[in-house]
Amino acid sequence: MLGEFEYLLITAAANLGENAYGAAMRESIMQATGRNCSIGALYTTLDRLEAKGLVRTWMAEGTPQRGGRSRRMVCVTPAGRAAARSFYSSIIRISNRAPWAVHDTEDAG
Amino acid sequence: MTRLAWRIIGVLALSLTPAEREVALGDLIESRTAAWCSLREIVGLVARRQLQRLNSWRPWVAIFCLALPASFVLMGTSVSVSSTIQRMRWQMVATHDVLNCLSIAFLLACASWSAGFVVSSISHKTLWLTGFSCLLPCLFCFFRFRIESLPRLSLFLFVLPAVLGVWQGIRTMRIRLSIAAALAIAMTMWMAPIWSRRFWLCDAALLWPSWYIVATAYRRAATKKSAAA
Repeated sequence: MLGEFEYLLITAAANLGENAYGAAMRESIMQATGRNCSIGALYTTLDRLEAKGLVRTWMAEGTPQRGGRSRRMVCVTPAGRAAARSFYSSIIRISNRAPWAVHDTEDAG
Repeated sequence: MTRLAWRIIGVLALSLTPAEREVALGDLIESRTAAWCSLREIVGLVARRQLQRLNSWRPWVAIFCLALPASFVLMGTSVSVSSTIQRMRWQMVATHDVLNCLSIAFLLACASWSAGFVVSSISHKTLWLTGFSCLLPCLFCFFRFRIESLPRLSLFLFVLPAVLGVWQGIRTMRIRLSIAAALAIAMTMWMAPIWSRRFWLCDAALLWPSWYIVATAYRRAATKKSAAA
């Protein structure tokens, strides 16, 4: 099963689609969680996910915004999608009767 | 101050692979992270990469099977050579004493060089850690050294050949099988009389690097031969 941060990375990469690379994913995670996402955690976790075959990464040309330095693009593999779906389902199932989940439903209602 | 921070970042980033250095610095520039925050990010990345290297057996072998035991034995041998040289300066010594001193000095140089070479061959990316684990016994002995007639620096005769070995190991210098075997056999023969008097396990830490060099040279020669065939 995926870890929380691994799930965040895969989800951010899937959401960004063809524009998924380090800085964009970091920004996306920081916006979603309100927490800092260090580049150390980001790249070591990406390496781990790639070793597990859950994502594929490759180097792409840089842009003027980043001083021409290259980007590490990320693409979620079918295995990565399956793992993320499984994690998401587990979270939904286990959260079903949690007090905070009930509150959310009531608030929405 | 900002310029200083970016200079430090540049130096620290040198320990990353060129591709990762490009990507990490590019990300920091793109996200317009402040210089000191960027420094913290790079320190974090470098620290994680260094810690990842400790997952391998290589740095642990370099530390516990080589750097720690060999530094104690090499310091002892350095003192032995220094005291014999000191004695030769003030009094007449027999020829066999001079030959004995020369043979121990030769053994010291070969053992230090091969230890340094093997340390950098098996774990050149964690040399800082191996260096630190060698420094600790050196400092311990330096502050406890109590022989009036000898300078404290006489403990460190082994450092120069060891550093030379490390340097050549980093440059992945190839050693021919015949030379490696000659070195290992010579060292073993020189150590045999010492071992016949006393056998210290630590002494083995001086000998195994030379045979490791033979094994790697043999493997390389065998691979080359099979590729040619």
